[in-house]
Amino acid sequence: MAQNPAKIEGQTLPTIEGQTRVQAKDRELVDNVYGSPVDLWQHRFRRIGCGIIFLILLLIILWAIWRFERDTTESYADNVEHFKYGSIGSEPGGSLMDSQGGLLPPYEIFRVLPQVTPDRLPGGYESLGLTFEKGHDLPVGVTKRYRLGFEQVGVNCALCHTGTWRETPAGERHIVAGMPANRLQIQRLFKFILDSTLDERFTADNVIGLMKRNGVHLSWMDRLLYRATLLARVREATLQMQGRMGLLMDPAQVTEWGPGRVDTFNPYKALQFNWPLAQLPRQELNAPSDYPSLWNQAPRDGMDLHWDGNNASLAERNLSASLGAGVTPVTIDHPNVDRVAAWARTLPAPKYPFAIDAAKATRGQALYTAAHCLDCHGDHRFRDGVKTGQYLGKVTPIAEIGTDPLRLNSYTFPFASNQYTLYPESKYSFRHFKKTGGYANQPLDAIWARGPYLHNGSVPTLRDLLEPDANRPATFYKGYDVYDQQKVGFVYNVASEGATQYYLFDTSKPGNGKAGHYYGTTLSPDEKDALVEYMKTF
Amino acid sequence: MENDPIFQPLKFRNLTVKNRIFRSSISGRFDNYDGSGNQARANWEEKFAKGGVGAIITSFVPVHITGRILPNYPMIDADDKIPFWRHVIDTVHKYDCRFIIQLSHSGRQRDVPGVENFMHPGISSTSKQDTFHGLLCQAATQKQIDDLVSWFAQGARRAREAGADGVELHSSHGYLFTQFLSSAINDRKDKYGGDVENRARFLVEVIRAIRKEVGNDFHVQAKLNAVDAGNALYPWEKKGNSLEESLQIAKMAEAEGVDAVHVSIGSIFPHPQLPSGAFPPDELNWWYGGMGSSGVRAYLNYAMFHFKILRPVFLYLWNRSKKQRPIEGVCAEEAREFKKALKVPIINTGGYQDGDLIRKVISEGYVDAVSIARPLIANNNLPLILKHGDVPERPCTFCNRCLVNAIANPLGCYEPRRFRDHEEMIKEVMTVYRPQPFPVPGEPTSVALSPSWEANKHGAEPG
Repeated sequence: MAQNPAKIEGQTLPTIEGQTRVQAKDRELVDNVYGSPVDLWQHRFRRIGCGIIFLILLLIILWAIWRFERDTTESYADNVEHFKYGSIGSEPGGSLMDSQGGLLPPYEIFRVLPQVTPDRLPGGYESLGLTFEKGHDLPVGVTKRYRLGFEQVGVNCALCHTGTWRETPAGERHIVAGMPANRLQIQRLFKFILDSTLDERFTADNVIGLMKRNGVHLSWMDRLLYRATLLARVREATLQMQGRMGLLMDPAQVTEWGPGRVDTFNPYKALQFNWPLAQLPRQELNAPSDYPSLWNQAPRDGMDLHWDGNNASLAERNLSASLGAGVTPVTIDHPNVDRVAAWARTLPAPKYPFAIDAAKATRGQALYTAAHCLDCHGDHRFRDGVKTGQYLGKVTPIAEIGTDPLRLNSYTFPFASNQYTLYPESKYSFRHFKKTGGYANQPLDAIWARGPYLHNGSVPTLRDLLEPDANRPATFYKGYDVYDQQKVGFVYNVASEGATQYYLFDTSKPGNGKAGHYYGTTLSPDEKDALVEYMKTF
Repeated sequence: MENDPIFQPLKFRNLTVKNRIFRSSISGRFDNYDGSGNQARANWEEKFAKGGVGAIITSFVPVHITGRILPNYPMIDADDKIPFWRHVIDTVHKYDCRFIIQLSHSGRQRDVPGVENFMHPGISSTSKQDTFHGLLCQAATQKQIDDLVSWFAQGARRAREAGADGVELHSSHGYLFTQFLSSAINDRKDKYGGDVENRARFLVEVIRAIRKEVGNDFHVQAKLNAVDAGNALYPWEKKGNSLEESLQIAKMAEAEGVDAVHVSIGSIFPHPQLPSGAFPPDELNWWYGGMGSSGVRAYLNYAMFHFKILRPVFLYLWNRSKKQRPIEGVCAEEAREFKKALKVPIINTGGYQDGDLIRKVISEGYVDAVSIARPLIANNNLPLILKHGDVPERPCTFCNRCLVNAIANPLGCYEPRRFRDHEEMIKEVMTVYRPQPFPVPGEPTSVALSPSWEANKHGAEPG
């Protein structure tokens, strides 16, 4: 190594016979007036050494940023694929030190969880009504997004708004985007997540070992992070969710939601506002309601939306619904939510897939108008954006409609005021929420695919809805997706299919009441059949 | 003992020495910082003269301040040093002991450069740092080489003027001459680098200049490495000169008129193979710190000595090539090759203490004489002990504590196992300062031999 300290500092250093030169400094008090050759050599080394250390630190920091701050998710060109699998930001996010949101554990843990506690979910996620499609390792409506250093899992609109039907038990299962998720048991899904991640078998050894058995190979860094942080974080998140939402997940304390239903606003109270649910009147917590359809949104703008018509702004309703799916103001992916919303505006309502008796339907149409159905619900042309009926999209007082009031009562004035605190000072802040006194009159586009009926799914078919309370089934099975072309709705007398036990819905439980909406119940059976035939054309 | 080969006179061309034991070069930081000598040096050398050595090869005597390895070494860089040397020479001559001044220049191998040298990298054949401490250097220019040659010639002149019996060129142990001679160090592209003749050119020029200055009737000897073993410490370093190349160099020196060759080994000093014996990490921890600012690797070495957990790493490297060699007569085999190849007498250094071994190497034609350093520090009167057919009561243990202490402390025997306690050891070390420069009434005017309890048993009186 050439020793030429003179070059290092750009100064003339003494030659062998020369004299020491003192570096001129512009200040009087300088400690380092001499630089011996050894000093200068080491100074150079220090600079190189410090440079290397700095570079290594920089690389570590850059790696850490890349590893932990990266936020990437797959984007799907096809709108339907995007709707089914695209992230809307409900995965946990925020920063590593202050993570926010998230209802499900990270991707690899989510996938392995049914194996960690097999007795808690013997049939796997399918048994909860989640729909798996070919080429996807996650069910419809469950999304993957890289956040906080790991592949995270979230849910999107499609989880609750993609339904299925079959013509016969052996027939093909048709998956319909925008259709209410008639088989999904979301309460049981979350209860399973809570129970499994708090189970004593949820250990690093079990989780990592089962992943390995499944062919998932984690890097040593991942294994370290799983052991050191991730599992603990999952459990911490679970405990938090258990503390906030545990009450709603316990069928012993609240009416079980069953397939196709969710309690819209009570989880919202717990997750977004951290309300202590135990302190609310217990009746307020029994508000499970049917998933609505997602199609043909454009003509709905300006109507009183939600079952109780508490908001007439489509944009606000969408945003609020995504909060229900677990996004937070910090983690929401607005562009993706907006893309789904824009797509849903013009998503056509699916046509009735079976034969329709045209003559009978024509008779039914006359009855539909005569019985004043049209006044409240519009007619078959709504699917084309034609709005008819003076009360369409308006709230009918609960005293008049007489259906189960608990869903209406669960949306309270204090809750509405809390909603107004979200997204403060931004274009997203809510302005249209209001407390109403009844349920809104829904347009009936593709009503054939939206059973069971009434806001709480308490009446299995349209034909049953035209019967007085006493004639409507007191109990019936839900979650079976074979179609009943006579009554229009899903076959509801099948208790099981193979290993799958269907959910027995009991209309006597709080919030499950089948009473009310007696319009058309006085018609003759033939007339009722004609009316139902007409509604197939919607 | 009749006809003891040790105590036969040794005749050189220009010098006769009364026996075959030379005090090898050892320095000690006794003198004034600036290289002017003082009484302690005379006291020190007197101990060995009194102890019966045939000749003393002095301390490392720099011919110029740039070539001083440690402060407080006496120099011969100017005529004003002649009176001092004359005083030392007069002192040892009283004991019929010859005195050979070791003319030296450190090159880059300057363990503690001192304030005079601190701002200048050492002069060397190369600009590459030393491989042990990271001592910095710059390759000498032709002008600097010419200066160096003349400094040596002037040093020889001053030695003769001071009454010395001869001079030795310290062309071994990694100092300036080795830096030119060794193929591991010399990376010059000019006439002083390349093949062995070019590498020996600087030595040859110095010998010629000395002969020109002092004539042919003055004893001049060269201390030469038999092998460099430059990779003994760090295996990735170059090996350096082989025995064959060293013999070629010795023959060139002989042809230029050196009167004897003093055979040693080692591309650096200290070297894992010479001085033989131990390398005490505790002493290194205590005293190596003084070299902390000397070289760019010194702090790394210090860390190796200081942290007990790292010591095995260093000691593994240091000791791994030692096993090839004995502790006593560490390079006697190579010296025999020099003896075979050259006509001039051969002196050999390296762990001689055992009288039987010394007699063997002399009588069996390995060497003509041995030079001894550490056993003589331990027992200044070792020659007299040997002359009586005795063995030292407390021999040198080759612990090398004297070597490591020499960085910072007055040279002496620091082997605690040879003394009753620490105080007695230090008292013995400090005897070098008696008598004082300014005589004190009632104090002895001559040094006492060490160890003190043996001082008078084999003591020789001034003759």
